[in-house]
Amino acid sequence: MSRDADRRRLGVVGNSDDPARDLTSMGTLDCAACREELSAELDGEADPARRPAVLTHLGACPACTHWREQAAVVTRLTRTAPAEAGPDLVARVLPAAPRPRRRRLAARVALVAVGVAQIVLGALSLIGVAGHGGTMLGGADMAHMSHETAAWNLALGAAFVAGAYWTRHLAGLLPALGAFIVVLGVLSGLDLAAGRVEPDRVATHAVLLLGFALALVVSRTGPARGPSPAPRALAEPEAGPEPGPATAPPAPASRDHLGPVARDRPARREAA
Amino acid sequence: MDDAVITDAALAARDGDRAAAARFVELTQQQVWRLLVHLADHGVAADLAQETYERAFGSLRRFRAEAPARTWLLAIARRVAADHLRRRARRPVDPAPIQDGDEPLTGTRPGDVAEGIALRLAVDALPPDRREAFVLTQMLGLGYAEAAVVAGCPIGTVRSRVARARADLVEALGAGAENPEAVSREP
Ligand SMILES: [Zn+2]
Repeated sequence: MSRDADRRRLGVVGNSDDPARDLTSMGTLDCAACREELSAELDGEADPARRPAVLTHLGACPACTHWREQAAVVTRLTRTAPAEAGPDLVARVLPAAPRPRRRRLAARVALVAVGVAQIVLGALSLIGVAGHGGTMLGGADMAHMSHETAAWNLALGAAFVAGAYWTRHLAGLLPALGAFIVVLGVLSGLDLAAGRVEPDRVATHAVLLLGFALALVVSRTGPARGPSPAPRALAEPEAGPEPGPATAPPAPASRDHLGPVARDRPARREAA
Repeated sequence: MDDAVITDAALAARDGDRAAAARFVELTQQQVWRLLVHLADHGVAADLAQETYERAFGSLRRFRAEAPARTWLLAIARRVAADHLRRRARRPVDPAPIQDGDEPLTGTRPGDVAEGIALRLAVDALPPDRREAFVLTQMLGLGYAEAAVVAGCPIGTVRSRVARARADLVEALGAGAENPEAVSREP
């Protein structure tokens, strides 16, 4: 037979909506339909209802009988071909895996509590110094120095509360807060030693330290490189074949470190 | 490959179990890589596999195990490959299509290795739809129903694509040369 004839018989040319389907209802198969059945048989997916028609066709068609043998050879070859081992990707992709949620959520709630405590401390110190007047120090009234301190405490409290909600901003807070705590710690130690401050006043700084630790936990347990959920990747697998370019912009290369917006998405879902 | 084990690992990974996430990758990465080698090409398969897992982890929160996790993951890998091909705006892989007159590579090296190479070239030369169906069902061992979910097409389409891929391969490889008439090529 000629190759073209063979290809036609195989159904290679033309559409899959072949007339073979009609033939099957009459108990006969053309070569293309027969070979589709033979192929399915090799995969254990044959339609038992078509079995008699397949046998009838094979009895009358040496070409299909031979094709069956060849297809079996190709199938065996495929299944016994040594599979080349791919690279181990665990270490490369694990940073993108979801982080434990409960611990992170607990840390965020605790951070809110610490922020509120910090605000209360700031407010108390503000009330405490209200109406006091006194000695000037470095060009500022003592009361004003206290106002500055109170403003700091209030600001940090607000930052903790806001950071617990908008977690992407927390990382930016850490360097300044860390430096502040180190300096404050050293100075507090010196002041304590010199008797310039009462221990319970210094103890209130522990709230700051706790807030810093919690902020660290929350920002460290966030999604490392939040692969911004590409719309197509979120779709159900049944959503259909690849979309046209108009409906699906290429997903961003998520290997790159993404901006804060993308990083925050999982966190916001979590907060919801 | 145990689908239930893979799905359990995915669900645990979804809830933040890092060890389960590692297990999920270990259990599936060879298949993901293999699919990507054939849908895209060898050189980018590792990068695309990484992108696949990053996308998968990014949308894992919404994974509800309605389909087995392996099928879900392979569907993502397939989209990563499609996006890659679109991004690169290049032809689908078409390495040295086996042409008439080309003496099959079986002549150059004896044994399974040569057969394996010839097979791989022939598979890579298949039209994309058939290649996808063939790789999913034959190389990854998916059932037709699973392959249909991954490819986003009806089962009947998988069925006919696999059959046509087989026919193409029979023709390309000239398997079972005992009957030269059936595999004869035009001069
Ligand atoms: Zn026939």
